[in-house]
Amino acid sequence: MQTAWGWLPAIYLFLGGMGAGALLVAAAFEFYGKRYQYDFCPTALVGATVPGPLVILGTLLLIFDLGAGRREPWRIFYMFTHFSSVMTWGVWLLTLFIPVSLIYGFLEILDAFPAARQWLRTRRWLRWTAFLWNLPLRRTKRVFAGIGSVLAVGVAIYTGILLSAVGPAIPFWSTRVLPFIPIPMMPVLFLVSALSTGMGLTVDLVATLAIGPMEQRVKSLPWIHMAFIGVETLLLGMLLITALVNGGSAAQSAREIIAGTHAVVFWVLIVLPGFIFPFVVHAYAAGLGRHSLVSGVGSGVGIVVAGLFLRYLILVSGIPAAL
Amino acid sequence: MEIPRLSRRRFLGLTAAAGVAAVLGVPLLKREASLAQERPKARYALIIDTTKCTGCGACIEACRLRNHLPEGVSYIRRIVKGNERNPRFLMIQCQHCANPPCATVCPTHATYRREDGVVLIDERLCVGCKYCMQACPYQARIFDEERGVADKCWLCLPWVLGGGLPACVEACIPGARLFGRADDPQSEVAQLIASGRAKPLHPEFGTDPSILFYVIEEE
Ligand code: SF4
Ligand code: SF4
Repeated sequence: MQTAWGWLPAIYLFLGGMGAGALLVAAAFEFYGKRYQYDFCPTALVGATVPGPLVILGTLLLIFDLGAGRREPWRIFYMFTHFSSVMTWGVWLLTLFIPVSLIYGFLEILDAFPAARQWLRTRRWLRWTAFLWNLPLRRTKRVFAGIGSVLAVGVAIYTGILLSAVGPAIPFWSTRVLPFIPIPMMPVLFLVSALSTGMGLTVDLVATLAIGPMEQRVKSLPWIHMAFIGVETLLLGMLLITALVNGGSAAQSAREIIAGTHAVVFWVLIVLPGFIFPFVVHAYAAGLGRHSLVSGVGSGVGIVVAGLFLRYLILVSGIPAAL
Repeated sequence: MEIPRLSRRRFLGLTAAAGVAAVLGVPLLKREASLAQERPKARYALIIDTTKCTGCGACIEACRLRNHLPEGVSYIRRIVKGNERNPRFLMIQCQHCANPPCATVCPTHATYRREDGVVLIDERLCVGCKYCMQACPYQARIFDEERGVADKCWLCLPWVLGGGLPACVEACIPGARLFGRADDPQSEVAQLIASGRAKPLHPEFGTDPSILFYVIEEE
């Protein structure tokens, strides 16, 4: 079992993924016009405003986990310079994602709350920002939603490539999608999981809490979310089966997950709250066309918790290749 | 209003310029000149004969002492192979790969490979992200908690450049460790490698170990 990366990187990978997923949901609402169906759209509001702070928090945790880079922070600049390293790509992606998502969130707040716009406009010390008010708010917002989406996909995929790039050193992390397809599984799994946790946060949890269980506005959402959960289940199953087939320490990782030291985390903290429960209640919600308070909040919390433990599980179950 | 606006713009400009300079300046940082340049023509080889190795661990301790590592920490570690009645010992340290994944994944320029094949860590550039520790398939790296940087076997390079031997080679009691120059066809190491008895460990990892070789009796 690898011990170099523990909880902090796990939380960081999770926050990066969920932030990226939430922004993608908000951007989808923006581009498909769902954002404007009603006066107030909590999913788009949270999906646009929360990713910036989430990813900032994740990045701070990443820095906190560094050795010399934490004590001598100027060394962090060196991390921008070595382009063969996936971590360097990640540092660039985060550096670009954070300001873009913050601006997107800011514009979304201005759009959603006219009072905020008014307040800003009447501050004397903000008079130099006058040029901003001539920009078309929604069109500018869309530009940032678009750039943000591209970066979000990059962030979500990068969290997986970071692991798969270790190659033969930790065979479980570099397991392929299928033994004969040379695409690593982790980036694919993490991208789907990012979308699922993003939806869990912004739709199941926030929308249910904000606009109440009786009124689920986008009827197709439970179906879409079920599809994501289904794909994620499939990918997770393929990961474990491919790892078992590959043998060696990858198979050992898979056995520890299915029926070994990590089995409790896997079945009780990931499969049950993040897959089985949300799938069942989403089927029910899809039939009814709305979430109940229990199904919405329950699956939202469950999916988010499971997303965190999934990152943790994959980190701790990485077993170095035997020598 | 005019004056503060000007100075703000100036300030922002200066900040941006400083940031760009910092980022661009990093690759220009010079490595310790002596270690990066000296005698690049040599090709070293360190061969461990596992048929002679008794697993006594003298090399582990000698490495620890020469490199001033704390109690119980060394660049070399012992793996026990074979069965209980006939144990075989595999001493693992950095293999000095020609295609080192530790250097590929390093987000800074801290890990680099000299022209003579020795893989080194410039600890002034290391941020301590531990990515290299994950990517080394030989698990040859350790972490210096005190200084917060990655660390590993450096082939006792200053001693070797001065004509001496790595500490592990000096210390080996049964003489299971051979050190020499592979670019000299007369040397014992070159002949062992040419005969095919000394082979890199786990070539299937694809990292192409270039300095460490092992003589392993097939069973
Ligand atoms: S053995 Fe490990 S640390 Fe040494 S060069 Fe190869 S990958 Fe890097
Ligand atoms: S711990 Fe240091 S040497 Fe290792 S990858 Fe990170 S910066 Fe490079």
